[in-house]
Amino acid sequence: MLPDVTVTRRILDGVGITASVEEVAILGVVCRVSAEQARTALRAFRDSDLAFTFMVDLFGVDTGEAIDVVYHLRSLARDEELFVKAEHAYDSALTSVWKVFPAAHFPERECAELFGLKLADHPNPQRLLTTDGVPPLLRKSVRLRGPEEVRNR
Amino acid sequence: MSDPREIGRPSGSLAAPDGILPAGTYEPEVLPAGLTRAPVGVNALATEHLIVNMGPQHPSTHGVLRVLIELDGEEVKAGEASVGYLHRGIEKLAESRRYSAVGTLMDRGDYISGIHNEMAFALAAEKLIDVEAPRRANWLRSLMAEINRIASHLVWYGPMGLDTGAMGPFLYAMRDREVLLDILEDVTGQRMMFNYVRPGGVLADITPAAEKKIRVFLETFDQYLDEHIEILAGNEIFQARMRGIGVIDRERAVGFALTGANLRASGLSFDVRKDRPYAAYSELDFSIPVAQEGDCFARFMVRMEEMRQSVRMIRQCIDGLPEGEFTAKVPKVLRPPAGEAYGAVESPRGELGVHLISDGSDTPYRMRYRPPALYALQVGESLLPGVLLADAVVILGSTDIVLGEIDR
Repeated sequence: MLPDVTVTRRILDGVGITASVEEVAILGVVCRVSAEQARTALRAFRDSDLAFTFMVDLFGVDTGEAIDVVYHLRSLARDEELFVKAEHAYDSALTSVWKVFPAAHFPERECAELFGLKLADHPNPQRLLTTDGVPPLLRKSVRLRGPEEVRNR
Repeated sequence: MSDPREIGRPSGSLAAPDGILPAGTYEPEVLPAGLTRAPVGVNALATEHLIVNMGPQHPSTHGVLRVLIELDGEEVKAGEASVGYLHRGIEKLAESRRYSAVGTLMDRGDYISGIHNEMAFALAAEKLIDVEAPRRANWLRSLMAEINRIASHLVWYGPMGLDTGAMGPFLYAMRDREVLLDILEDVTGQRMMFNYVRPGGVLADITPAAEKKIRVFLETFDQYLDEHIEILAGNEIFQARMRGIGVIDRERAVGFALTGANLRASGLSFDVRKDRPYAAYSELDFSIPVAQEGDCFARFMVRMEEMRQSVRMIRQCIDGLPEGEFTAKVPKVLRPPAGEAYGAVESPRGELGVHLISDGSDTPYRMRYRPPALYALQVGESLLPGVLLADAVVILGSTDIVLGEIDR
């Protein structure tokens, strides 16, 4: 279920990325890389011996200081799971990984629109769920009820 | 008469050994959204392409999906799915609801298989608060989940017939689904938005009336299922519409993160119930149907076979339901310690996961709902170039998408 932490770190060292890899209680092995290195790291994980060829999910988390983009990877061959987190500054660009994992195409669009990120290298950098003018809904600064709605109740 | 179970069955599959992994990785060369009008004029001897909207009010879009389709005569040149018509912001709403109230939101995600959605959330929440559901609760969860799975597959099976031009199967599917919804109503009080599976256990015990209805259902459904398979799979027109259409090879299935019956129809046997057992699945005896072809017909047969396995499991659950409490002692207001957890279930559409992040308060800090149908829609979109318009309808239908889940 859990990949070996040292092997995971060695894969990242192999492509020149120094990142923190640690085992988090309940969740599993979490690896933190920078936003610029995320695509290189994901490609390395996919092509490594651990064979993380399956991207279960991609989503964002507003930590209050930045947007964490979480890539949930799975190795079908070894039955292991790995979470890769990349910290993105607010309003920065999310570099698409659709060439590494084609499954990332829609989730990236969704993540970018709901967290107010820009899409880079994306084949179709448009909104997925909402229309133009809708604020980045999943940011903590966007309140559930807007001022207009509260006033009109 | 030949055994209806053998009619139309893909040869030598549905019980294939697992562990055949894709040879390489799928790397797309063409951009996913490639709508381009063909040039018009004396220099270009091509027909002008027509871009049409299929949906959002098209009967075969299974909800409110809009697909922009670029047509060259009858042939689809490219397709682009446009979603979001049902977006309700479930993930955002969950951040302001207490843990006990999130179940009602989850029901409204994939509205056809509510039990599974609630269970995914309950599993993630239970991991955070470190509570295990009692054994009887686990068995009740599996029982209700399998009843819900058959009801959901029937809602897929009927419209699949409609997509290929058969009206009858829809009526028979709804007849059988009605019985299942009655059972679910008896136990949970609701026909669709159940809010039955809660962190720590389930809402209520099974009633004697529901148990009787389940036994009546079990007596009749095996034969009905054979008829369902015979009506469609035994039909030559249906086979011609399904066989060899929309083939998803293993590489593409893995690349697009397909799960559930769509993945298993492509020869990979990952199933959350077997590989990450939850509820009572580690104690139940069932097998995972796998087909190798990866076409629409394989997906059809895998789902029909899954219903048969579900019937097996319902029978085991109702006969072997252990005694005991149906819910653990859980505080009214949950305040899990700060942390993250991922809980996943095998919903009728695939792996439905909930990634839950807690900051120690009584509401989730972030709840991510992993929608299997979103990934299935992407692969459906990637298969559209080069097929006939009538086949596009079949391909989208065979991936079993529910737009309530894609849009959340």
